[in-house]
Amino acid sequence: MDEILETMAVVAADPLAYARQWKKETQGRVIGLFPMHFPGELAHAAGALPVILQEDDEPITVGQAQVFNFYCGYNRSIIDQALRGEFEVLDAILFGDHCVQLLGTADVIRASLPKMPILFNQLCSILDAEWAKAETVRTFTQLWKELEALIGQPIAPEQVQASIRLFNRNRALIRQLYDLRRAGEIALTGRQMQDVVKSSMVMDRAQHTVLLEKLIAGLERRGPPTDAVRVFLSGHLCHAPKLPVLDLIEDCGGVVVDDDLYHGFRFVFWDAAETGDPVEALADWYLLRSTKVPCPTRAVKSLDWEDYLLRNVRASGAQGLIVLMAKFCEPHMYFYPEIKEAFDRHDIPHLLVETEHEEMPMETLKTRVETFIEIAKRRMAA
Amino acid sequence: MQMVAEAQERPEARPIFGNGERANRLKATRFGGKLVNDYWESLFAAKEQGKKVVWYNGTYIPPFFHAHDVAWVHGEAWSAMLSAKHREVTAQARGDEKGYDRELCSYARTHIGQLLIELDKIKAGTSDIAPDDPRIETMLKLPPPDMIINAYPYCSSGQQWDDITYRLFGKRVPMMTISIPLLWGGRPDAGYLRGEEWNERSRYVADQLIAMTKFMEEHTGRKFDFDRLSEAMGYVKKAAQLRLEAMDLCTAQPSPASFFDWIVSIAPVNFLPGDQNIVTYFEGVLAECKERIARGEGAVKDEKYRLFFDGMMNWNKVGWLADKFAAVNACVVAGRYTHMSFWQEPELIDVNDPVLGMAQNYLICPNNHGAPIMIGEIEKICDKFKIDGMVMHAARTCRGMTNSQFLIADSAKRHGRQALFFEGDVADESFYKDELLNVRLEAMIEALDAKARAA
Repeated sequence: MDEILETMAVVAADPLAYARQWKKETQGRVIGLFPMHFPGELAHAAGALPVILQEDDEPITVGQAQVFNFYCGYNRSIIDQALRGEFEVLDAILFGDHCVQLLGTADVIRASLPKMPILFNQLCSILDAEWAKAETVRTFTQLWKELEALIGQPIAPEQVQASIRLFNRNRALIRQLYDLRRAGEIALTGRQMQDVVKSSMVMDRAQHTVLLEKLIAGLERRGPPTDAVRVFLSGHLCHAPKLPVLDLIEDCGGVVVDDDLYHGFRFVFWDAAETGDPVEALADWYLLRSTKVPCPTRAVKSLDWEDYLLRNVRASGAQGLIVLMAKFCEPHMYFYPEIKEAFDRHDIPHLLVETEHEEMPMETLKTRVETFIEIAKRRMAA
Repeated sequence: MQMVAEAQERPEARPIFGNGERANRLKATRFGGKLVNDYWESLFAAKEQGKKVVWYNGTYIPPFFHAHDVAWVHGEAWSAMLSAKHREVTAQARGDEKGYDRELCSYARTHIGQLLIELDKIKAGTSDIAPDDPRIETMLKLPPPDMIINAYPYCSSGQQWDDITYRLFGKRVPMMTISIPLLWGGRPDAGYLRGEEWNERSRYVADQLIAMTKFMEEHTGRKFDFDRLSEAMGYVKKAAQLRLEAMDLCTAQPSPASFFDWIVSIAPVNFLPGDQNIVTYFEGVLAECKERIARGEGAVKDEKYRLFFDGMMNWNKVGWLADKFAAVNACVVAGRYTHMSFWQEPELIDVNDPVLGMAQNYLICPNNHGAPIMIGEIEKICDKFKIDGMVMHAARTCRGMTNSQFLIADSAKRHGRQALFFEGDVADESFYKDELLNVRLEAMIEALDAKARAA
């Protein structure tokens, strides 16, 4: 099992290296996707390797010339990678999500990589609007057409259905891991779970699915230390929290039992219908997913992120909530006070950790996390 | 956005910089001060008059409210007004207390902070504001909403702002959100006001505007009057045409008006009622521009340099910045915010059936085009007004307007124009660093002089 987890960790640590190797071996197309809600299934059905573009660990250097330092680390890193030539492996980029910073980033990429096809189709962000379904169907239909133009041949609905089935299978397996972890039957660390999910955003889905099947069958059935404080992680809506932050939480006496991270449960919790019109299926997938795990970038009047968190923190048996907020992430900044007040009202320990691409003072953070763990322990004992 | 600068600035506020000259502002804009004050007074009386009140954010949709005889509060205008009057700090502090991060849009923080103050008072059943507090005159009168409408082109933050407003009112106020998507301009036929994407998106927004009239009908129990919308848009279109005609006169050297005159002239084409007053306002502005040209009088004494202002306005610093540039004989002639928005394509509007043309004007707000088309339009303006240099306001909390600014500056340099950046914000004065702008502006002037000597 260590070997499988190591394979996933290597891919997660350098996704573009995996993409380059895959391209070399298959001569296939690699299509980059921006987070958060764009379906990789269509790109997969086009015969390409869909890769969700990730923040990397390099310090921002040449990128500083094209992006302000008051943009989130993900956007700054993506621009830096584009200007460093890291995206040469890509044959196209798909995007169109609802983040003003990302829209600016896409324009910088267009300017710096003028030959790169960018298939932009903006998703409707008002999920409860009466026109949301029709608009989303239109968006995915347009994307389908543009992908066909990119590859120079039609994409059959059956191909898309097959991709949907494969992606569903992959997500379902990761959800199994989540179920086992919540139940205390396995002891995957925060780092390992992130590697599992992040590698699924990058690897050939069939290959990844095989690894997952073996992993689930072979993982030792043992729970985490019983004296550890059970922690729920929330936030980081489009890029992965730094692994040392996850390690620190566990080093301080916590154990991550559940999350709503994009590089976590948020990415896998919802499937598309495997029968019927695939565009309709993907549209429904998109429109319904934020009604299950609320996303602050989507306007759904009936839903509240804090209610979801309260419910799921309790359901997972977590004894506290750690909110990981990427600095300069506007939707998170808007909604954090709602979460804070709700958890205060319910007297559930919670801690806000603001994360950055660089300059994360781990020693300072350690003191704060230790204090949080101590508070949670005392609440449990009281 | 919105107010007349003379009424807002601290009287003693004036930069110690350059030759000490001050901006020669248009006198005609003073009429705008009266219109703005009348608007707020009318708004404060709305509840007494039995009117429903809409809070809205985003683009210039008030003609729909005017046509339906509801009162309207523009969140940005409210924040800009508090900021221009230097009364934003208390509101922002209340937002801080709630937990809103300082890096969040300062329009939103100001507006939400003020809303929280109002809610505090309602909960307490009393006001904790001193009777002589200057804020009281306006704060106590802001009517709460009966409806919330959000119509933000491009900016996701703008949409999320109203998602929070909706929640702060306990989800009891009906809300509608309109999507005004980015015109990416990636298809082969894409261009300014043309192409498949343009046609498709125009219809998409127009359909949502029609849905908005039904939303208002539902929540007022009255039928929407499209004839009245046409009437209001007749005035808006005329005002917009006059504004553009007056702006065009600024190709003259010296320019009779500056970017800062156009900044204080935004209110009439942004949120004031579409009636004869806004036409009269721009007739006055146009006439004064003509008079100045006839006299050879400029908005800046001894104009030597002509600049373009990119980015959102720094509402704390309207008069301050106007004087600063005047003090080095630089006239900021045009800007992205003023010259690429607020009904800048009035001929698209068919007053007999105005909704599609309105949607199209909303779509072409100054940041809602992908960079290539937007920058192409900026360069056209710079060529037209014979711009020497670009002043890039990096508004700390406004990503909508800071996106693409490096690309804009790159393009300016390729076209032989100088570019400088300065830090500030839309409504949070703490991000503004005056001395940095002084040094950079002096350097730009030196460079322009050197270029002129070399020519």
